[in-house]
Amino acid sequence: MPADAPLPPTSQETIGPFFPRTLFREGDNDLTRVASDAAPTGRGEAILLRGQVTREGGFPCLNMILEAWQADAGGRFDHPLDPERHLADPDFLGWGRAWTDEDGQFEFRTVLPGGYTDGTGRRAPHVNLTAMGAGLMRRVLTTAFFPDFPAENLTDPVLALLPEHLRGRLVAHPDGEAEGLRVFRFDIRLRGSVDEETPFFED
Amino acid sequence: MNTHDLPDRFDPWPQGIEPDVPVPGYTNTWTHTPSQPPQRRPVSRTEATGPLDLQRKLPCDEANLAQLAPGKIAIGQLMHLAGRILDEDGRPVRGAVVELWQANAAGRYYNPIDQRDAPLDPNFVGNGRVRTDEEGRYAFFTIKPGAYPVPVKETWWRPPHIHFSILGPSSLSRLVTQMYFPGDPLNEFDRILHATPDAAARGRLIARHLPPAEVGDQWLGFTHDIVLRGRHATPQTP
Ligand SMILES: [Fe+3]
Repeated sequence: MPADAPLPPTSQETIGPFFPRTLFREGDNDLTRVASDAAPTGRGEAILLRGQVTREGGFPCLNMILEAWQADAGGRFDHPLDPERHLADPDFLGWGRAWTDEDGQFEFRTVLPGGYTDGTGRRAPHVNLTAMGAGLMRRVLTTAFFPDFPAENLTDPVLALLPEHLRGRLVAHPDGEAEGLRVFRFDIRLRGSVDEETPFFED
Repeated sequence: MNTHDLPDRFDPWPQGIEPDVPVPGYTNTWTHTPSQPPQRRPVSRTEATGPLDLQRKLPCDEANLAQLAPGKIAIGQLMHLAGRILDEDGRPVRGAVVELWQANAAGRYYNPIDQRDAPLDPNFVGNGRVRTDEEGRYAFFTIKPGAYPVPVKETWWRPPHIHFSILGPSSLSRLVTQMYFPGDPLNEFDRILHATPDAAARGRLIARHLPPAEVGDQWLGFTHDIVLRGRHATPQTP
């Protein structure tokens, strides 16, 4: 094989209906802790990100697996590809996993992320979400933005890729308070009409 | 870990490797698969990065599924399954989290959602999680899973298979896939395996048997490598 010929990646297949509940532990959906027994980070505003996953017809999807990944409150990642890694919040993991209940509902506890500038431009604060489940041969990827940052959202290089009338679908809605935290709602429609369906991104 | 160890280039999936969706005969895919094509986006820092220190959140110490406790051995053909996690340059992915789950020898999952009338094995839960070593290696000790009919109207039998979930160094290299066994007559009829159009790509989802001389004579031996997306834009310094 020539030196530049890449190995083809392994095909993805459905996670199926039986992803074990025994692989979940209390706090897996909490991005603010690096471990279930660690103290939550003190930086940034803790929030709850909630939503419902539905399929065609608006029916809820049970046992969908969702994973979240985001920058810390300062817009940094604890990762070598972040030039400001040394400033990243050591008490913030940025990753969490949740699964939907009978009503298709999920919840993450996290902090309001910070924005950052990289080669793609000025990224508005956002949380990347991926959903996997029975009936999905390939995972779907989407991104939640926040209504707190209208100016940043306007210039975000990813949000700008969408037709203007669909951009609002990727902005979470304020949904009151719970456990003393602001709640943001971000519903995910897997399949529906163009206007119902959540905009997804290639992986 | 420095930047030289990490892929930072993510080409689109090569043709024929991603499953064609929705899948004829797999009814759920017709109500779940988005109708609109996903939008291409530039790879910003959020996509290129990922959690590197997940083992504190997800304990990675479950490699033995066949023996829950001393003397409590699962029913079925004992099996040693090992392999490597690589990137598209063929370089080992160190410290990747590898999760595995499977049905028991009777083709039943230890999961309340699986209500099929097949026996549960009190000595088999059927999930594990490990981290790859410096050479990108993982290994599990388990049993060979049984086949099961899919709980949909026009059913078909799923061939024995192992579910894999791999969390690599970037969120774009995240992979959920399945592994099959060589020579199983059900492979040919599996709608999920055959959703992948490219025959060579399907072939790469099938494990390779290892003879007892290589793995010992008390269990079946299989090896299976998995390639995550991602390449190195920066050439490796020797
Ligand atoms: Fe299965």
